Amino acid sequence: MSDLPPPEGVGPDGLDDAPDMTAAELALGVLDGEERAAALRRVLADPDFAREVERWRGHLSPWFDQWPAITAPDILARIERSLDHAAPAASPVASLITPPRARGGMWPGIAALSSIAAAGLLVILVTRPLPPVAPPHPSASVAAPLSPTLVASITPVDKSTPVTAVYDASGGTIRLTEASLAIADRSAELWVIPADGTPHSLGVLSTHGGTALTLRPDNRQRLAAGAVLAVTLEPLGGSPTGLPTGPIVAKGILSRV
Amino acid sequence: MTNHPLDAEAPSGTPAPETAARARLVGVLVRTGEEDRASFRELYALTSAKLFGVCYRICGERQAAEDVLHDVYLTIWRRAGAYDPLRASPITWLATIARNRAIDWQRAQKIRRATPIEDAPPMIDTAPLASETMLQDEASELLHGCLQGLEARQRDAIRTAFFDGVTYAELAERQSIPLGTMKSWVRRGLAKLKECLEG
Repeated sequence: MSDLPPPEGVGPDGLDDAPDMTAAELALGVLDGEERAAALRRVLADPDFAREVERWRGHLSPWFDQWPAITAPDILARIERSLDHAAPAASPVASLITPPRARGGMWPGIAALSSIAAAGLLVILVTRPLPPVAPPHPSASVAAPLSPTLVASITPVDKSTPVTAVYDASGGTIRLTEASLAIADRSAELWVIPADGTPHSLGVLSTHGGTALTLRPDNRQRLAAGAVLAVTLEPLGGSPTGLPTGPIVAKGILSRV
Repeated sequence: MTNHPLDAEAPSGTPAPETAARARLVGVLVRTGEEDRASFRELYALTSAKLFGVCYRICGERQAAEDVLHDVYLTIWRRAGAYDPLRASPITWLATIARNRAIDWQRAQKIRRATPIEDAPPMIDTAPLASETMLQDEASELLHGCLQGLEARQRDAIRTAFFDGVTYAELAERQSIPLGTMKSWVRRGLAKLKECLEG
């Protein structure tokens, strides 16, 4: 192996003969922008790659032992206030999609959903591949230096198999695994409910296979960690009013990967 | 609290202190996942110095580190139910959340931090968490042994990336070398590391 740096101008980034170490690079955290977004998408789409990233996190974890501890500011009270306020704050949104419950009961439900999204997502994706999406236009990579990927596990109210939603901010595209939520002569419509509690339609789900929707700019801004995704049953083709008219059949909360 | 099944200790004799400390941490983390607020407070007492260290180093400023730490513990509260003691040590799981959150914050900043932090924060003793070193001795020796096999510049770049949470672009900037060259160093270093760790 040569100690010399590779000659400049070999290929687009001079790396034609360097091995593909994307999983390690993602675990290490050196990727940025579109490279990072692409690697995060790959985690979701490729279980072997996801395991490789996990393996690298394990490889590097002994370094945490060497990390110097610093006396932390006492912000426990502030954290607890946030936890206490999270439940009432979620109520306007949650009341749209769940029957009223005891006040303290709301947060555990949300917490459980987040946990499911965080823990079970990769497992779900292993067995339920997402539909392909047309590659984004080349200009898309310039637009968003920070391109978080958001995920949600959208759980049907009848407790049947959850639908996984993956939102790619760099392309403004949301993809959902196959859902059997629609019924005869009704369409299943997907909504985002941001913190203000007002539902906005993202589109109608395919009746067969997964769904991929490219969102309008105004809806892209509404997709953020903590926003609720909900599916309602509407007249064929979607709600005529622009607001949900039918019952909610599934819901989930977006969280960052 | 002492009756929780995860507090059960090794059947023979008194467990080594580090085993007990880890079991305690696993216990409070699992109970945090069951939404036990008292355990969550204990978790904060046991781990906040370590996690603040992670946030401070990567964010590079105290106020931001404090805000990120706040978000880290909210995330921990929400996700603790998904923690699997069989898959990751508690401190690795917690520190990974802290590191990722801090990196998210840092990536969202427009201004790149091209130089390392100058005002080295004061270090404190963290007896309970030092135990992790003992438990991970084998993994730790493997990593450090394998790192010795890398060229110094590769080792330094990978180490800096881990502890400072910086990107290729920032690594290249700090060393005043072309981005492609930095990528190539690190990729080759990682490939060699993989060969050693998994070979």
